[in-house]
Amino acid sequence: MSHIHMDIENLTFAYGAGEPVLNGLNLHVAEDESVGIIGANGAGKSTFLRLLVGLHFPFSGSVRIEEIPLEKKTLAKIREKIGFVFQDSDSQLFMTTVGEDVAFAPRNYGLPEDEVKKRVDDALEKVHISHLRDKSIYRLSGGEKKLASLATILSLTPDMILLDEPTVALDPRNRRNLIKVINEYDHVKLIASHDLDFIWDTCARTVLIASGKIAADGPTEQIMRDEALLQRYGLESPLSLTKR
Amino acid sequence: MSKISDAISEIQSLEALSRGPGFVNRLHPLGKLLLTVFFIAVTVSFPKYSLPGLITMAVYPAAVFLVADLSFGEALRRLRVVLPLVCVVGILNPFFDRTPVLTIGTLAVSGGVLSMVTLMVKAVLTVLAGYLLIATTPIEEICRALRLLHLPKVFTVVVLLIYRYVTVLLAEARRITQAYSLRAPGQKGVAWKAWGPLLGQMLLRSMDRAEGVYDAMLLRGFTGEFAAGREAKLRPADILWPVVWMLILLALRLFPVTSWIGNLFV
Repeated sequence: MSHIHMDIENLTFAYGAGEPVLNGLNLHVAEDESVGIIGANGAGKSTFLRLLVGLHFPFSGSVRIEEIPLEKKTLAKIREKIGFVFQDSDSQLFMTTVGEDVAFAPRNYGLPEDEVKKRVDDALEKVHISHLRDKSIYRLSGGEKKLASLATILSLTPDMILLDEPTVALDPRNRRNLIKVINEYDHVKLIASHDLDFIWDTCARTVLIASGKIAADGPTEQIMRDEALLQRYGLESPLSLTKR
Repeated sequence: MSKISDAISEIQSLEALSRGPGFVNRLHPLGKLLLTVFFIAVTVSFPKYSLPGLITMAVYPAAVFLVADLSFGEALRRLRVVLPLVCVVGILNPFFDRTPVLTIGTLAVSGGVLSMVTLMVKAVLTVLAGYLLIATTPIEEICRALRLLHLPKVFTVVVLLIYRYVTVLLAEARRITQAYSLRAPGQKGVAWKAWGPLLGQMLLRSMDRAEGVYDAMLLRGFTGEFAAGREAKLRPADILWPVVWMLILLALRLFPVTSWIGNLFV
């Protein structure tokens, strides 16, 4: 279990001179929490996650991860603690083979080759794709790509993982597999997704973002059962819930 | 479309080859890079009529093909586009230099023909040497060797990123041409009117993808240097391999080895 927490105060961000995508967002994520970030298209979910790993500057307000403020000079430290899985796995994977891609981060952080090998073994084992180590990235299926993307960040043993729309283009079997892998990972998780069933299966807490602000924050069950709330913000109850 | 897929596969299989576990692959990249440059310099330095001496230089690529367990046929297949081009070098020589310099049986060979063949052999040997370097050394290691030679970081980073983005660009080109052909059944190639928007889209999407890849690299600790992941410690073989070969190549260049071999049989 990790003992990392995150405090976000009055976070505001706009692309260029446009309207703010995030507008005074406040959030506290306690250690070991799994938080689902939901919201309609354009609500700012992806921007929010990308901002937390320093892919967007400048912003106003403050983001502190374990008392470390998110600034350009602290990025290396923060990125060692937080792993980010992109929505598009093709962007995440750029080396030749799965093994090489998973080894990319530990090598960049200057770990000795023995340790890199161990990290790669562990990361592949955690997502159950050790058999894909030497497979070309180009030959992976959509589900394998997603798991390989997850392994590429697990090799840095981050204390927190952020996943942007992790179930896009996954078939039911791969989706189930991903849920299992994510639930086995016992660190802080922030998952942005339209797939409310996925959030239901993986997150104890859900935050609903609308117009760059937090519109609702609470236990996943409470948010998902509030049909009026979901409908107000352009969402629908998870299918699995409506069946129950 | 399939040509683009083939090109991507080609790049990836060559990269996989360079990361192989063989003896030559494990050698320090600086030694291999210096040896390749030395080989090219020596090869190019042969006079224009020294074809027999030049042919002995083939001993180096032949040895690397054997030791590294590389397929010569595969190399020729990969270089099929380049080799005809380099063979065009000197094609005009026979028209300018018609003085006979050699007689084979009753056939008089002009200086122009001989120099043309010499130039072709030089070109083929140098291209093969370059191929052998990239087939046994990953691009990150070649750039590491260039950095050890104090080449500016900006140069090596640009080389590495271009190399990474080539695949991204090709994949994007494949997607866009596939989408086009699905909506233009029976049409061969791309209509000229569609080239503008198609190229524009490809450029924009490639830039987007390239930015995504770069972000992913930054998030995983990329600071401008690619960590190759090989042992940094020098082993005796890392020094012996290039030094011994440089001495052999120098001997082949300075001494008439072919004449000595010929005299053995006369």
